[in-house]
Amino acid sequence: MAILKLDHVVKRFGEFTAVNDLSFEVPEGGIFGFLGGNGAGKTTSLRMALDIIRPTSGSIQILGRKPGRENASQIGFLPEERGLYRRMTVLDTIVYFGRLKGMSTSAAKKEAERLIERFGLSQWTKSMVEKLSKGMSQKVQVAAAMVNSPRLLILDEPFSGLDPVNQKVLEDLVLEMAEAGSTVVFSTHIMQHAERLTDRIVLLARGKKVFEGTQEEARATMAGRLRLESQGDPSTLPGVAGAKRGETDQGWTSWEISLSPGTAPGHLLQACTSQGFALRAFESQKPSLHDVFIHLVGGEQETVS
Amino acid sequence: MRNILLVAAREYKQIASTRGFWVMLLVLPVVIGISQVAGRFFRPTLESAYVIVDASGDYAPAIERRLEINYQRSELSALSEYVQRWKLGAVKPDALWAKGERWFSDDQVDQFIAEGGIQAAVEIVKPHTPPEAGVYEIDKRNYLKAAVPAGVPTNEGPDALKAGLDPYLQDTIETADGERPLSLAVYIPTDMSETSPVRMWTNSAPNASLVDNVRNEITRVMRAKALEASGLAPETAAAIQNLSPPLSLSAPQQGAGREQVVIRSVLPLAMVYLLLVTVMTTGSMMLQGVIEEKSNKLLESILATVHPAQLMHGKLIGLGAIGLTILGVWVGAAVGAALSVQGVVADIVKPSLAAIEPWMFGAMLFYFVAGYLIISMLYLAIGALSNSLQDAQSYLMPVIMIIMLPVVFMMVSVAQQPNGVFPIVLSWIPLYTPFAMLARMGAGVSMMEVIGTGAMLLVFVIIEMIVLGRLFQASLLRTGQPPKLGGFIAMMFGKNTA
Repeated sequence: MAILKLDHVVKRFGEFTAVNDLSFEVPEGGIFGFLGGNGAGKTTSLRMALDIIRPTSGSIQILGRKPGRENASQIGFLPEERGLYRRMTVLDTIVYFGRLKGMSTSAAKKEAERLIERFGLSQWTKSMVEKLSKGMSQKVQVAAAMVNSPRLLILDEPFSGLDPVNQKVLEDLVLEMAEAGSTVVFSTHIMQHAERLTDRIVLLARGKKVFEGTQEEARATMAGRLRLESQGDPSTLPGVAGAKRGETDQGWTSWEISLSPGTAPGHLLQACTSQGFALRAFESQKPSLHDVFIHLVGGEQETVS
Repeated sequence: MRNILLVAAREYKQIASTRGFWVMLLVLPVVIGISQVAGRFFRPTLESAYVIVDASGDYAPAIERRLEINYQRSELSALSEYVQRWKLGAVKPDALWAKGERWFSDDQVDQFIAEGGIQAAVEIVKPHTPPEAGVYEIDKRNYLKAAVPAGVPTNEGPDALKAGLDPYLQDTIETADGERPLSLAVYIPTDMSETSPVRMWTNSAPNASLVDNVRNEITRVMRAKALEASGLAPETAAAIQNLSPPLSLSAPQQGAGREQVVIRSVLPLAMVYLLLVTVMTTGSMMLQGVIEEKSNKLLESILATVHPAQLMHGKLIGLGAIGLTILGVWVGAAVGAALSVQGVVADIVKPSLAAIEPWMFGAMLFYFVAGYLIISMLYLAIGALSNSLQDAQSYLMPVIMIIMLPVVFMMVSVAQQPNGVFPIVLSWIPLYTPFAMLARMGAGVSMMEVIGTGAMLLVFVIIEMIVLGRLFQASLLRTGQPPKLGGFIAMMFGKNTA
């Protein structure tokens, strides 16, 4: 069952179309990446899923229902633009959000204390938020999003503004939540995080979906690349779309090969063996999600700042 | 509703944890307390003592009688007003103090003294006094007679007397009621003449009224003696001396005339001021709160769990509770002071509370709450439209001017003519209805006018809540330049231009 489903969703602000005929499904369980450059429509789509804004047309289903605050008890949300009440204590802030999501005071307090300890903020429990560093404030906000142990955790650009250590802490937490049964949807334009965490992804560009599927399926959209060293010219081998000559050393020449779509590196190795094509090196190069992103989105995107 | 109350509780707690709130909350009670304490401990002592050495024996009894008559006349007049205010005339209808008179002749005061004076009259009234009136408090005599201290020569002439009294004139002297400053010493010789005048000595704080009283009484007795010496019968001479125009001075019955208007207006006018102060204070707190939420970028987190309308209602309730807390503490302090202390506050607030009819309290509360909602919604909408306090100031200035200027003019106008054209016209303009109707309440407004303006006000508040509510909701996540007029109108009619 899809925990989040967008069906031909359009959102216009005046003349500007922020989200254009967007359809995708997030299956329950696992980690789902919602990828795209700045201005791709990620935040707008997530806001619509949470009923913060309404779509111009199309329909959205979240947890099997229409978007609305009645779903809040099962959702955790960390917005891209983050902030807290400066003159509230760390504990009160997390408990307040827990209460707003329907938790009892005692349950919210118990979970808040657990998360505070988990984030290493114990000594700041009773401190005003205004006394915290930016990184600590962000942890408090993450804790506020997670306090209700949500069935669906939506994180909008969760890693922005965090130092590498805290990025790792958050990555671990996301994995922990997924292992505990939550579905995590996070948007990002930093592909390395998506690469490490996600099972499935959706790629957006200028409000439109350009890809939906697994990481492997995404990579398969790109021509395979590999490097080999041979005595002969590999450009005539079956499945080779292009071969760029490199340096020659004692009769062996280095080549950058791009494969035809649908040709796996293994197919080329098999052809070399059967034709007696002499090789000294054969290095398959797996395209990164970043390469896939550039490949799929590059033409669609005007600017990525 | 749960989330509305959670938002309200958070707003209340946040404001209540600030120092500024407590300063504001306690400023009035502290001022009242200080004024009462200061009034008690630092009130200048009016009571002073005098000494008369009358070698002739003709004047001292007359002076003492005159001072006693003046004192009893003042008390009789005050008791008459008290009896009239609390409708106690029936206790003894034929008594001098039962008829609402404010001036009494010497003969009437003599009769009053003969019947036991103020002490006896109060004893008659006391058992019938309603609890809210408080017991009539008898003022002390301003001038107390003191005997010449032992050792001071009274028969060795004025200079010896002065020398003997000098230490007392610089200090106090023993009276029947304890030590008092000696403010006047009088020596009246046996035969008054240019070379042997009446001598008076005062201390550093001479009491002009006492000196006048003594001088006038000596003059009166001298004239009576002169008239007698000219051959008039003593009775005729006395009659001429006591001749005065027949005079009857009445004050309006309590609960009628201008006195009633003034007294009844105290509480409603105070409510107008309180409404202005609380709404402006809590309004700016609300404004700052919304701007903080916007500039701290925490609105999105909140809006994922709370509907914008719930957020708005929660803020209105939370800040409204702050306003009511301030109002409650201030009114409580004022009423507490009125009921427990006999001072300026008690003289004004206590009768004004008693003079207001019960249904008026309901109307006043309605106007107060409606006024609070009208202004608070404006503040909330401005807060939602603004990205910073500077932004808010540019919207706030014209709004405050539009509200305040007519209200201030109206208050002045009401003080002079409660039911003048200007206050009546303002009563029917919903933005000003709460202020104008509250201010006019003391002067008497018809039930129909209350119902009519109240209905209009209610409709206006509902429309304002809907229209400004939409503006608030549409503006919450808006950033960048504020919209132009067309944008405002579009948002008010539910078109999201964010």
